[in-house]
Amino acid sequence: MSRTILITLAVVAGLGALVGASVVGFGLYNVSAQSGHLPGVSWLLHTTFRHSVRLRAQDGGASMPDLTDPDLIALGAGHFATGCLPCHAAPGRQRAAAVRSMLPEPPPILEAIEGWGPSELHWIIQNGARMTGMPAWPAENRPDEVWSVVAYLEAIPPDPGAPALRIPDTATLSRIRDPQTYCATCHEAVAGPVPDLSLLSPAQIEAALRAFASGQRPSGIMQQAVSQVRPDDFAALAAYFGVHPQDASDDPRREVTRRLPGASLAQRGTRDVPACHACHGPGAAGSFAATGAPLLDGQREAYLARQLHLWREGVRTGSALMTAAARDLTDAQIAELARWYADRGRAETARPR
Amino acid sequence: MTDRGNLPRGRAAFWLVVSLALAACDGDQSALDPAGEDASVLALLFWVMVAGAVVLFLMMNGLFFYFTRVKVRSQSRAVARWLIVGGGIVLPVTVLGALLTWGLTILPDHRQAGDGLRIRVTGEQWWWRVEYWPEGSDTPIVSANELRFPAGRRTELILSSAHVIHSFWIPALGGKMDMFPGRETRLSLRPTEPGRYRGQCAEFCGTSHAWMAIEAQVMPPEAFAAWLGTEARSANLPATAAAQAGMALFNREGCGACHAIRGTPHVGRVGPDLTHVGGRATLAAGRLPMSIEALQAWIVQPDRLKPGALMPAYPHLTRAETLQLATYLRGLE
Repeated sequence: MSRTILITLAVVAGLGALVGASVVGFGLYNVSAQSGHLPGVSWLLHTTFRHSVRLRAQDGGASMPDLTDPDLIALGAGHFATGCLPCHAAPGRQRAAAVRSMLPEPPPILEAIEGWGPSELHWIIQNGARMTGMPAWPAENRPDEVWSVVAYLEAIPPDPGAPALRIPDTATLSRIRDPQTYCATCHEAVAGPVPDLSLLSPAQIEAALRAFASGQRPSGIMQQAVSQVRPDDFAALAAYFGVHPQDASDDPRREVTRRLPGASLAQRGTRDVPACHACHGPGAAGSFAATGAPLLDGQREAYLARQLHLWREGVRTGSALMTAAARDLTDAQIAELARWYADRGRAETARPR
Repeated sequence: MTDRGNLPRGRAAFWLVVSLALAACDGDQSALDPAGEDASVLALLFWVMVAGAVVLFLMMNGLFFYFTRVKVRSQSRAVARWLIVGGGIVLPVTVLGALLTWGLTILPDHRQAGDGLRIRVTGEQWWWRVEYWPEGSDTPIVSANELRFPAGRRTELILSSAHVIHSFWIPALGGKMDMFPGRETRLSLRPTEPGRYRGQCAEFCGTSHAWMAIEAQVMPPEAFAAWLGTEARSANLPATAAAQAGMALFNREGCGACHAIRGTPHVGRVGPDLTHVGGRATLAAGRLPMSIEALQAWIVQPDRLKPGALMPAYPHLTRAETLQLATYLRGLE
């Protein structure tokens, strides 16, 4: 009796495996996107997606910065222009015909963000969605960058007829072919987390571009940006944006006018933290070499703080010295240092613009 | 090979072991070769205990021999009681009580007040931060990895640690004392014999615990005063072109972020003070004898000489550059 049952089950399982193997092996399953999913499948997949995101995005808001920060919004817009716009189109604009024929069809951006809160959008942008064509964030361990895109999406007026935000025209941006103008849309128009390149030497900028291109330095925004530029142009771009040693005056030191708590830490260090100024201070020789420590006087506060966090957490690597230097910094010390360097006058090495 | 051939070899091995064991009794890191008041007391305590142990050993074995070989018969109850109560209770209580009393009276001497000089020693992984506080001074003379004492004077040591527990021990000069993070312990020493002695961290403190030694020099008081005067001064200016190039490299490589050299803009505090590094007998807390070659080897790859050391490697420097850097540092006497 039980033997008959077992044999029957084995035969059924064998037949099932045979059918499955034929579907895969002989190409019986039609992968065409032409006809769309079978009835009910779209609903099933989308419902699974929605619930999966809701479950996983629950505590995602813990690291949320101020999403109304204009610099953050503008940076997010810049990334949106090349990273998201090709599929989701600029707000209120039509998607390309080819995009509309994808399966699933990427929704227009206003429709895509409808019903999602900031932490859910953050989760979707960071993780992407399997088998939908929605990519994951290009760099791992950079949830901080994802917030800029969320900030941009949150800033889009829900009504396409509303007056446009004062952000770069993303539709125009996507058509820019001149790499200098492209880089300048963020590096000259946006402050905050975007570094001031006129404090860096061409060698340092070029080394950074190559580190982004190879993925050695993780940044979803910059990895996307450098992929829009030909590697042959790196040197010319670096020369255009960087400062040249011969422009530097002999003593670029500026008097510090305000006493900020970061001063002692930067100039003297502690028993656990090396003095930043030994390498990053004005007059430190070697500052203009590709591997040399960049000058920090007058660099942007949000950028400095963010990079120090990345060094401390081991996300940014490439300099054993800097990894060791940042290892024991506290959050408060990072804030003080970023504030102090940003507050110092721009070194006169900086190229006038 | 005959038995006769083996005998001298066995005897030679025996004497070799004995002489090696005895050789360990003197030298610069031996509690049995005391060079100070405090170590002498401990050595005396040790020898008294050894002598007592020998007497007890002979007595025990003598009794054993007597009762098993010489007078083999049942003993009376009185003899048995006398032996058990006398040898098992009265004798140990008396001996241990006497040793305890003696030990407890010695103990406070290790913290007695000094003659003025205080030295603050902080254990780091794996080196020693040293500050001399002469009587009445309000700023210390900062040094590292080497201690100097005036002979015949009592010097107070204030011991602490940065991150993990270490133990301070210069066997020829005194007992050991643990060093704890966030807590101060005290030890006072009165070395009497001028000379060089070696100390060693005596509490496991991480990967390179075994490489955490300290050189101690006991000097006649006048010589010590002269030395301390020199130690308090700013660093020498580089004398040769090579040393000047080394100084520029020290600047360029940002060494000053972690190391201080008084008289220069370098004020880092993460690593040892290098103001007079060339004047020390050893490099990296007793790891290597001080020399230009040792400095070069250390700069290129500290981790190879001291596994786990915090100092980063500088493999990108050329041999010529490390030579210049080492020449500069060696000249900081």
